[in-house]
Amino acid sequence: MKFFKSEQTFDYPWEQVSAANWQKYPNKISTHVKSVDVLRREFDPVRQTLTSERLIGCAQNIPRWLSFLTGGINKSYVREVSVVDLKNRKLTMKSCNLTWGSVLKVWETVTYSPDPKNPLCSTKFEQDAEIQASLHCQIGDKIEQWSVDRFGQNAKGKVGFDSVLEKLDPVWNEKFNDLSGKTSKLFDQMNSRTTSVLKELNDRADSVIKELNDRKECALQDVNGRGQSAVSQLRDSILHKN
Amino acid sequence: MGNIMSTSFAPECTELKHKYDSCFNSWYSEKFLKGKGLHNECEDFWQDYKKCIEVHMKKQGIEHLLDDARKEAPFENGGTPKGKPTQLSAKDSKAR
Repeated sequence: MKFFKSEQTFDYPWEQVSAANWQKYPNKISTHVKSVDVLRREFDPVRQTLTSERLIGCAQNIPRWLSFLTGGINKSYVREVSVVDLKNRKLTMKSCNLTWGSVLKVWETVTYSPDPKNPLCSTKFEQDAEIQASLHCQIGDKIEQWSVDRFGQNAKGKVGFDSVLEKLDPVWNEKFNDLSGKTSKLFDQMNSRTTSVLKELNDRADSVIKELNDRKECALQDVNGRGQSAVSQLRDSILHKN
Repeated sequence: MGNIMSTSFAPECTELKHKYDSCFNSWYSEKFLKGKGLHNECEDFWQDYKKCIEVHMKKQGIEHLLDDARKEAPFENGGTPKGKPTQLSAKDSKAR
């Protein structure tokens, strides 16, 4: 058995990534994905969850040393069950290959959740795979390793999904920006307001300080003047007394 | 929607799938994500599309593969295989 793990970050809010996930294929990088079908879908309005079962059709290039086990057929199917948990802002996808199950089983779990470093603007992708070949001999090891390597290559999938996110971004902002667009606009407004308030405060503080300085100067002059006259009065009175 | 939509495994069902997908994508962004979803509004499109793919799944022999997979990792469990926690769920249960 072999394991594969990877982590990525997408610079889009979780809501936007979870919506684009339904339109991830086709994209220019993941050309091995040929079809996507929804087999079952259930929405729970109380828990605010959406569970979907999908059938993903792939066409991978099978190396010649492996083709004797797959009968030379390069078409394969993967079943995926995903749960979107709106309350916890988490999308979990679990998948396993349907084809060649007697040769190899690949259990994959992918999650999309808000990136803790930047939960409003970016999304963390985590991928975990468990690969098990049924043949417990050298060829089994070789099959498992080939599958792990495929995962490494499929990590390019981020580039593919990014291109979909980029393409869908204007549509999202135009149509569905209530969630993310308005928030960022609000931040912009808040920022510019904060800046102008700060500027005004600075200006006011400056003039108050200037006035205080002026007054202090006057007061000092006054005190100095009074002090001097008091001294001279005292001196006069002493002199007079004597 | 500004993006090409994926095709069905059965080319005969692709058109019905696209109709369902556009309805679903709008519902997902406009209702579900905003917490305004009361029920799945694309039921009519879904029924037509489902009928089509069920016929072709039988023809192509995908159905029996699916039956086994459904027993092994039920939909109701969110696709987690029975009695064989994947790495993530094992980690999750540890965290709990």
